[in-house]
Amino acid sequence: MSKSRESAALRLAEYHSQTKCTWCDGCGDYGIWTAVRYALVELNLRPSQVCLCYDVGCHGNGSDKIQGYRFHGLHGRVIPFAAGAKLANMKLPVIAFGGDGATFSEGVGHLVHGLRSNYPITFVLHNNANYGLTTGQATSLTWQDQPMNTSPNGVPERTLASMDLIFSLEPTFVARGFSGDIKLMTRILKEAIQHRGFAFVDMLQACPTYNHFATHKYLLERYFDANANGHDPGDLQQAKALACGSQDRIACGILYQREDIADFYERLDPRRGLKTTCAEEVRKYDVSEYLQELM
Amino acid sequence: MPRTSVKIVGASGQGINSIGAIIAKGLKRSGYGVFGYREYPSLIKGGHASYQIDVSNERVRSSETIVDVLVALDHHGLELNMEDLKESGILVHVTPGWHFPNHHQELIEQRALRVVHVPVSDVLSRLNAKPIRSNTLLSAFVWSMFGQDVEALKALVAERFATKKALLELNMRCIDEGYSLVDHREGKLSVALPPPDRRFSSDLLVTGSQAMGLGAIHAGVRLYAGYPITPSSPLLEFIADRQNETHMVVKQAEDEITAAQLVSGAMYMGTRALTATAGVGFDLMSETLSLNAMVENPIVLVLAQRPGPATGLPTWTAQGNLFQATTSSHGEFAHCVLAVSDGQDAFDLMPLAFNLAEEYQLPVIVLTEKQIAEALYTQAPYDLDKAEIRRGRLVTDPEELKVLNSSDRYDPLAATGVSSRWLPGSDAATYCAQADEHDATGTVDETSGNAKAQVDKRMRKLQSLTAALPEPRVTVTAHGKSLADGTDEDDALELLLVGWGSSRSVIEDVLRSDSLRSRRIGYLHYTYLWPLRTQRLEAVAARAKRLVLVEQNCQGQLGMLIRMQCGLEIPDTILKYDGRPFFYDELLAQVEERVSAWPDAASTSGNDESSRALRPGGVS
Repeated sequence: MSKSRESAALRLAEYHSQTKCTWCDGCGDYGIWTAVRYALVELNLRPSQVCLCYDVGCHGNGSDKIQGYRFHGLHGRVIPFAAGAKLANMKLPVIAFGGDGATFSEGVGHLVHGLRSNYPITFVLHNNANYGLTTGQATSLTWQDQPMNTSPNGVPERTLASMDLIFSLEPTFVARGFSGDIKLMTRILKEAIQHRGFAFVDMLQACPTYNHFATHKYLLERYFDANANGHDPGDLQQAKALACGSQDRIACGILYQREDIADFYERLDPRRGLKTTCAEEVRKYDVSEYLQELM
Repeated sequence: MPRTSVKIVGASGQGINSIGAIIAKGLKRSGYGVFGYREYPSLIKGGHASYQIDVSNERVRSSETIVDVLVALDHHGLELNMEDLKESGILVHVTPGWHFPNHHQELIEQRALRVVHVPVSDVLSRLNAKPIRSNTLLSAFVWSMFGQDVEALKALVAERFATKKALLELNMRCIDEGYSLVDHREGKLSVALPPPDRRFSSDLLVTGSQAMGLGAIHAGVRLYAGYPITPSSPLLEFIADRQNETHMVVKQAEDEITAAQLVSGAMYMGTRALTATAGVGFDLMSETLSLNAMVENPIVLVLAQRPGPATGLPTWTAQGNLFQATTSSHGEFAHCVLAVSDGQDAFDLMPLAFNLAEEYQLPVIVLTEKQIAEALYTQAPYDLDKAEIRRGRLVTDPEELKVLNSSDRYDPLAATGVSSRWLPGSDAATYCAQADEHDATGTVDETSGNAKAQVDKRMRKLQSLTAALPEPRVTVTAHGKSLADGTDEDDALELLLVGWGSSRSVIEDVLRSDSLRSRRIGYLHYTYLWPLRTQRLEAVAARAKRLVLVEQNCQGQLGMLIRMQCGLEIPDTILKYDGRPFFYDELLAQVEERVSAWPDAASTSGNDESSRALRPGGVS
């Protein structure tokens, strides 16, 4: 074993948690969980140097199966919590994780405004097209007509066109991974964590227990690395076409990326030129200068 | 306390507030205590609104229902507010050729009202000035009635137009015209003010929202997130307007849930962050309240009350959300509720709220009211040395960080329930702020023993917090002198009023009145409403002949909390829930009614069992 591989293994061990994994056999969460640790290690980030924020769902049960400063909060609310954490300490990478149920139903407003605000955070969508933890109900990303728990006759609503929605919000980073390809996910995550603004990462994942339509096999047969096929993430039109059209083949990789758009924090005039973070600025402030106008 | 009042009425957006602000500031600088009170509908323009200023040479913090001077900027004011004038009051109006209906003619005669029509349009067209300059003109007319120095008004107005020379000159001409205007029938009118007290001239004029904003900046708040809603918007605006000086992060969030979550994330990361909302927005924040209690994240939420339920009376005032603050959100958890009462503690309580949140690692709710948020207080300069920044068991020292274990974060054995807290990014063992029930490291743990140990740990904070919070404050009329803090142990009281929030200002003004100051009346004021301490209340109540609960809600919510905590029942209540604050004369009459049965302080004793507070089970 070479020295760098040895030290990488050691650093990977720093992320090790004693807590046993409780996901179902074949769950996509294992792959995403693994890729996240690889990406952090390959970016030379130690557990004390990252903030990982989890929504509620099967993925959120991974909050105690990894090291790092973690937060596991309420259903649908992870984006604003992560944004608040990041704005308070711009020195720390903040990664938020959420399922498709939380993100496109309960918390869809937060997703819309997170993208619109272009907060400097990474958002990883655990997309298994159903509410797994609550035992297999349909989300807005479940296919229409698919029978699910609570919709035995098939989902009556139309499937939400998630990528059309994302692209309508003028994103600055859109990527898609597949839980069966750890190397691809690692590459995407490393790029996403280093992105200037809001990085939206759609991780297609198998749910062997409840998703009997977009199965591991289904995804495996259709996914491909668009970047390896020559896709340029700077090409918006092609990115949209690849992201939104996923009927026959599913384009993965970094679909869209631009680094020339200022993130939310950079757009705040009062913070311009400041070296300190809000977290470092807690002290008593003299308010006498504001009293003059009130005399 | 000598009192004079002027009320400006008209359509929302007509400039009522600017006349009010000029007169209030001018009189304050001349050495008067002023108190400003606004009423307005939930509309941008149109609709009937008012700005009332009560003036004294003592500190005045309440409004009267009837005024000495009424300035009507439109005929609706003439129709709606004539009854608001005192005997021999002065009506100033601008409506040409107005014919008073019969019942108003009678009112004018009965009350010997003096009616002045100011020909605003004529004067302004002669000066070639726009209608908005009527504000300056009428301010000058009122200024002249108050017998104040015209140069003082000019200096004040000049500050606003310092950089606009043409406009400055026009305003000065408006002042000259308004100041020298004499009504041909009534002649030169004057409203007598008592001799000024110069100490007021160096005071501040602040709204409760401004005071709270200053307190938040002072407390080290570095991020503010909010969603616009009356009556918390003025705080958001105050903070937002100063962001280039404070260098604070200010975010107008997409909803109240977002605001609360942004603030939670920012506090978790270690800054001080604030959000404010009204009750209806607080409903949306309530899941976040419980979340922070569970992950033991400090958070401060301002709940600015207005009458509900639902949209209710959006621009009016109430104390109807005490239960919401003390009991909302799911599960059992420890948190703290404070209520501000005026421009002083709206400032003082902000650093305290953040200290409590960080020392006990729990949510702190700061209640305010539309009345406090928008009232204008003559405020003694703030003591800027007094506040401390206390962050409890926050570990920042690199050596101490190194020896921490993950299991220190939620150590269930922590004696006070408060365990070590350290911030993301610290070079230390990491942990999970876990909203599921968790063990000492934040790992999910649903075992019976752990669940109980962690609930006990978190609830233990309530005990340590209760012991640390101050008891309610008691003020007592001191034999004709001004109000005294505290009360002697053997001091019998004729009457003890119990209240919280904005009622305090009115009650204390009432107790300073000529008719009550020689009586033995106490006021017990609750600032710290949850956890609720009742030892002092019980001790003072035992020495009071009669207790009265004073609240601006329908159920007497503080009274219910008191009964729940200690069994003390206060059957006599003064409750108001029509969206209006207590007015001075109104509350004075209610208190007088209760003490008139007793001839004077000397002949009463505190041992009359029949009129004592009732206690279930007869314990007393």
